[in-house]
Amino acid sequence: MTEATFPQCRISAERLLNPETTERLLNKLVEVPGIRRMLLNGQRIPGIIPYGPAKGLANPHPMRKTIKVGDQDVELQVHVGNVLLELESRDAIPALKAACESVFTDFTFRIQEGRYMKTEPSLVDYCKYGPNADKEMLGMADPSSKSKPVILQGIK
Amino acid sequence: MAYKPQYCAGQTIVADNRRKQMDPAHKLEKLREVSDKDLVLIMGHRVPGSAYKSAHPPLAEQQEPACPVRKLVTATDGAKAGDRIRYIQFSDSMYNAPCHPYLRSYLEAYRFRGIDPGTLSGRQIVECRERDLEKYSRDLVNTELFDPALTGVRGCTVHGHSLRLDENGMMFDMLQRCILDKKSGIVKIVKDQVGVPLDGEVKVGKPMDAKWIKSHSTIYHSLVGTAYRDDAELVEYIQRIHSLRVKYGFMPKEA
Repeated sequence: MTEATFPQCRISAERLLNPETTERLLNKLVEVPGIRRMLLNGQRIPGIIPYGPAKGLANPHPMRKTIKVGDQDVELQVHVGNVLLELESRDAIPALKAACESVFTDFTFRIQEGRYMKTEPSLVDYCKYGPNADKEMLGMADPSSKSKPVILQGIK
Repeated sequence: MAYKPQYCAGQTIVADNRRKQMDPAHKLEKLREVSDKDLVLIMGHRVPGSAYKSAHPPLAEQQEPACPVRKLVTATDGAKAGDRIRYIQFSDSMYNAPCHPYLRSYLEAYRFRGIDPGTLSGRQIVECRERDLEKYSRDLVNTELFDPALTGVRGCTVHGHSLRLDENGMMFDMLQRCILDKKSGIVKIVKDQVGVPLDGEVKVGKPMDAKWIKSHSTIYHSLVGTAYRDDAELVEYIQRIHSLRVKYGFMPKEA
């Protein structure tokens, strides 16, 4: 479970982010020391159309791409709208802001501080993960999701 | 004195645009030329050039009962031919799209005949006889009611109207029915309204520029356009309606 003492931030820009911009932003963010966890939030873009008359057809979409963050390939499954971050301390916030300013040059953005990730396992989490859930994963993904987190090598 | 409809209250450009769109005497500005064949492709109800399927025999071949209303009301072309009922559905971005669901239903009721509009928060569907629909959809797509970036012809998976626009200025579409060609700046529709890929692509022109969008918007938006609260007349009107509704329920009478 997330320690309630870790500060959390949300970066949201005026526009939904293209994969190229997301890549640039994340590559700036991985250089910032003190980020524990990161979550890309946005509208889901499925590879196969899940319902409707076109159900089952492939869904080619330019906003769903594999981007490279640090040394890792990250497959985007959403059209990124917000980036949620859990930090080790509030000291990282000025660096985050500087990273965002260098990327968001054409439109505005804001960084908010608050609580954006789940701090207690919900009933659905309990059903899915049981009593010994991996605390790092709580609140990071839909419990029904089969995708796994990407581990980024930080600078520590 | 003959009754002159006022259509809606308000003193701002947004209210002006709403009145213009609702007023059948106002000719909608034609901005693009999407051919009839392309419209049929976008809607996806029939193969272009194929015959209209019918739900009943033409009215002329039917024995109609003696009915004074039938004598008063002329049937539309689609009804005369006995066409099926088909639909077109639109999503309009809250970021200053030139039209929006409530207004669509109003303006269609003022301008078109034989329709059944359905209004929802983020989408608006209009159902009518197939050949009438094709005639009406010409107005809905080719005129100032439509913007290639901010309006979507979406039969299903409609969400996107309340989301931020993407970096290219396009409204989110999970099925990516239309694509902005960055080189030419033209929006191309590559899937029909329910997301089935088209054999070709339908060009619907360039998205309108920011100045045009702002001056033709019919949506109040405090961040990207005209704020609702800036329209004193409309606020006064809404407050009056609200007050009367609260005081007298469904039988508003001023004391």
